[in-house]
Amino acid sequence: MSNINDWKQATDELDDIVASFDEGEVSVDDLFVKLERATAIIESLEARLDATKAKVEELAPRLAKVVDVE
Amino acid sequence: MESEIEPVIEPVLEVGEFYQLLTARLESAFGRRHPHWVRGEIAKVYEKGHVYIDLVDTGSASTDTKRPVLNTHCWATQWAPIRRNLAEDGVTLKPGLIVSFYGYVDLYAPQGKIGFTITQVDVQSLLGDVARRRLELIARLQGEGLLELNKRVILSPVPLRVGLVASPGTEGYSDFTGQLLNSGYGFDIILQKTAVQGESAPPQIVRAIESLDAHGVDLICLVRGGGSKGDLACFDDERVARAIAHCSTPVFTGIGHTGDESIADLVAHTRAITPTRLGEEIAAIVETWHQRQVKIPAQRILDATQEILDEATEYVAERRRTMIFAVRDRLRAERRHLSSIRTSLITHSRHVITVAEQLLGAKRQLLAAYDPKRRLAQGWSIVTNNRGEVVKTLADVEIGDVVHVSLSDGAFDSSVTEKNGAAS
Repeated sequence: MSNINDWKQATDELDDIVASFDEGEVSVDDLFVKLERATAIIESLEARLDATKAKVEELAPRLAKVVDVE
Repeated sequence: MESEIEPVIEPVLEVGEFYQLLTARLESAFGRRHPHWVRGEIAKVYEKGHVYIDLVDTGSASTDTKRPVLNTHCWATQWAPIRRNLAEDGVTLKPGLIVSFYGYVDLYAPQGKIGFTITQVDVQSLLGDVARRRLELIARLQGEGLLELNKRVILSPVPLRVGLVASPGTEGYSDFTGQLLNSGYGFDIILQKTAVQGESAPPQIVRAIESLDAHGVDLICLVRGGGSKGDLACFDDERVARAIAHCSTPVFTGIGHTGDESIADLVAHTRAITPTRLGEEIAAIVETWHQRQVKIPAQRILDATQEILDEATEYVAERRRTMIFAVRDRLRAERRHLSSIRTSLITHSRHVITVAEQLLGAKRQLLAAYDPKRRLAQGWSIVTNNRGEVVKTLADVEIGDVVHVSLSDGAFDSSVTEKNGAAS
């Protein structure tokens, strides 16, 4: 399983997996492999999103202070 | 008879007697009790307690050595109130000014000089002259394009380095600096102290403007609180106006009260009606920049960040749901497919069984038709030899063999004693 470093790359791969489901291309043999991969991508994206949100939460008040300064 | 006319003998006067006579004659026509108005152009002013002013004919050339000069003077006690009144109206007696003096002639015998003692100054005509000179100066500045020159200088979008021409400790200075210091922005005020009224003010202001211009500031502020016209007269000075016009830094003015408009205001880049208002306007310029360049972009970044995070969060959540449903749907479809196959198999199997059963029944019926028991019941019997083989022909037995005869209700053994062919 390749590393998930790039958000765009990861979402493209995830979209492809979803599309393959939508188009009914997934065999039962592939089902688990694809589900496992999709789960890994989603968890990775969520982890990265949480980390980004935490950083934003830290920075946002500083930026808000700039906006609110009188 | 010839009469002799006695010659009139003119008395010969001593100089002092002559001056006494002259003084008496002058006083009778031009003395204290017979004052006159005299109009002329000031050629020279000298003040030291008393003020001494030389008047010449209006428009006469200074090179004309024969032009009449009237040496006027005003004694200190008389001059003080006149000077105060003139100052309040913004008038300073200086060469070139056309004035009308009211006074009387006196004679100063020790120097043999006739003088003119001033008791009144025609302020109204002076004011008219000042106003005329002011209009002429404005027209001249306009003609030279100087009214607009400084307005064309581009102002820094964030004018935080403020050159200030003012007199510290004055109300105008405090009002102006108070606005900048309380604005919350880090204004850097570079002060050039100057007098802001009186004769010494214009050259000081000019030097201050030039110095700040060379120093490099974002703008130069010329600040002076309210006062009489006389107090503010230095801001109508041509030297100040030209210094502002030619300054390569934008010059802002905050001079006097609402309604005062000096020539400095006219040539300035921007004019505020008071020092306080000037401080507010400069702070507002910085605030506008801060709003446009910092606050709004910061808010946009905050909004965009939140939007991106919301979109990403929604995307991941949606993909998670999609995956769950897709897998579930796929499994359900697979299950349905298997179920369908199973049903099909069962149906098919049942059909096969039914067909087989039907075939079997037919066979069974066919077999039943050939059931030996039915034949035995009809009176037929079945003979088998000692090897258990059904005896179908004579060849199947030999004389002496014991054969087994089966009947519908039982069987018996019998010995072959004779063989007879059917045709024989």
